[in-house]
Amino acid sequence: MGDKVTLCYAGVKKVVKIAFFDKGKNIMNLATNEAQLVAMAVMGNISQPSLRYPGYTLDMNGIGRVWPGMSGVVYNARVGDPAFGWAGDHVEPGTSIANPDSAAEFALHYLSCIGNRAIVTSGLAQGAEGIVTGEHARMLVDFPPDANELLCVGDSVQIIAYGRGLALDEFPQIELKKVSPQLLHGIPMEIIDTPEGKKLRIPVTMALPPRIMGSGAELNSEYVDQDLMSGDRALMAELGIDQMRLGDLVVIPDADHHFGRGYRKGAVTIGLCIHGDSVMTGHGPGILTIITTAEPCIEWVIDPNANIANYLNIREIA
Amino acid sequence: MNKTIQTNIRTNSDKLVSVSVMGQIASPGFAGLPAVPYQLDSRGQPFLLPTFGGIVYNVSIGDSAYGWLADCIHPGVSISLKDENGNRGLNLFACVGNVAVVMSGDAKGVRGVVTGKSGRFSEHVIIHFAKADREKMAIGDKIVIRSMGVGMDLSDHPTVMLKSCSPELLNGLEVNSNSDGKLNVPVVGVVPPHLIGAGAGLTSEGGSVHIQTVDKAALAEAGLDQLRLGDVVALADTDSSWNHGYLRGAIGIGVIGQGDSPRSGYGPGVTLLMTSMSGGINPVVTPGVNVKEVFGLQD
Repeated sequence: MGDKVTLCYAGVKKVVKIAFFDKGKNIMNLATNEAQLVAMAVMGNISQPSLRYPGYTLDMNGIGRVWPGMSGVVYNARVGDPAFGWAGDHVEPGTSIANPDSAAEFALHYLSCIGNRAIVTSGLAQGAEGIVTGEHARMLVDFPPDANELLCVGDSVQIIAYGRGLALDEFPQIELKKVSPQLLHGIPMEIIDTPEGKKLRIPVTMALPPRIMGSGAELNSEYVDQDLMSGDRALMAELGIDQMRLGDLVVIPDADHHFGRGYRKGAVTIGLCIHGDSVMTGHGPGILTIITTAEPCIEWVIDPNANIANYLNIREIA
Repeated sequence: MNKTIQTNIRTNSDKLVSVSVMGQIASPGFAGLPAVPYQLDSRGQPFLLPTFGGIVYNVSIGDSAYGWLADCIHPGVSISLKDENGNRGLNLFACVGNVAVVMSGDAKGVRGVVTGKSGRFSEHVIIHFAKADREKMAIGDKIVIRSMGVGMDLSDHPTVMLKSCSPELLNGLEVNSNSDGKLNVPVVGVVPPHLIGAGAGLTSEGGSVHIQTVDKAALAEAGLDQLRLGDVVALADTDSSWNHGYLRGAIGIGVIGQGDSPRSGYGPGVTLLMTSMSGGINPVVTPGVNVKEVFGLQD
């Protein structure tokens, strides 16, 4: 199979790249098993925001507020925009899709990878292409703003799921979760030699202390994200966490996310900010596990440009 | 059954309403077809062990929270109601220390005491009955809890919220006001925030928040590796006013309601009893603070 598939909707043929094989910004040419990966379609429908009557979300002072943010097409929050400061809760950038069939919904969640291509397959925007940017209770897809205007709740979106099983030849102790080859090659990682042996150095915008990792600890780590707990606003400012952007790569030291999300000294987890802040205690921006190791074989370097808007060529951000 | 303690604590307990909430002894449950029965431990090893629900004959409040070949085992008897909203009423109104009475089956009339709650994936209320009484019980038996405690507050400690805490428990815990105006609460240990796991971000009115135990060295360092079921602990830098979450200076108090787990992010579960987001609670580390002794529970 090549790196493109030809799709045909409404009589119009469309050639879609399933991966960037130009190795992107990844200067170290990491050896992977990607020649063995299988690409397959999964689908969801654009979701309708839903609230439980009377719609209140309690903030940390117990004040009930009604906030938008989850589901639907979010027209004005996009990967690369701030994660904090919205008059909204758990803002899901771009378009949120879900499948009404439970088993198919889990396939959508478990097989889709960050950086995968998405194609609208019904409605006015049929044929429009997007990129998977996150997984919350729904899959999150970025479409160009002009396509967003044509999207309707219920429209079908197909994802070319590609990346499950991806592994690094030289680092069997590192697990990749929901990392597409597109994303892997887009991140400028480096292999470095250290006295303890080879390590993978990964750019991140910031480090999150493990004590602030909250909601999502109760779930398996193949499913959705774990919120950082932003309730200590002074700490968010002290550590600069309040500068986080949607799409940022971050590191959580001493966190092992192989099978569940928990504290283990020396482990390292790299996460992706997939949704915005929350007023709810124990919640905050959503951090999706993308790379984890229980061994000390990952280092990180702080880089303010470590954002998938850059790495997946979604949009230019400063 | 509990001793009368003299404290300087004033409450509104004479205004509390006592109302029945009913549950039935819950069966343990597993996921359906294709019937893969395993959970994964923190290293990815599959395990198949007894887990929450049912009548547990040989694990009781006062026993170790660790070492059982089980996943978050509930000591004694777990009850729930099939009706989802009714079960929520049961889980929210039952308070630790409330009396539970068996209303059907061979154990009809037997009394027990609520000792804890479980959260998101089971939503049970956990009740201590004497071991001899457990032998007469059957899954499905109806149990009524004479719930009382929701709405209780402390007149002199407006920053302290009480959750799932009966007047009897408050009385038995030997809390008192200190000279700084804080509430002294005896506890066996203090959980540091980096060891607080599953349950963060979820409601504190019911359910449980779990102490993480994958990193045994970190657990020992925190002095939490000898916990018993029923022990009273403090949660450092944790605000549980509505949900459980990190906040420097906030303090929670809870009781160990269920046992350890091999799963990442899990471990002994804590049923929250008190919280103060502004640090109005002063935990006083005192060996042996356990609801078994507070209520004089029989094995």
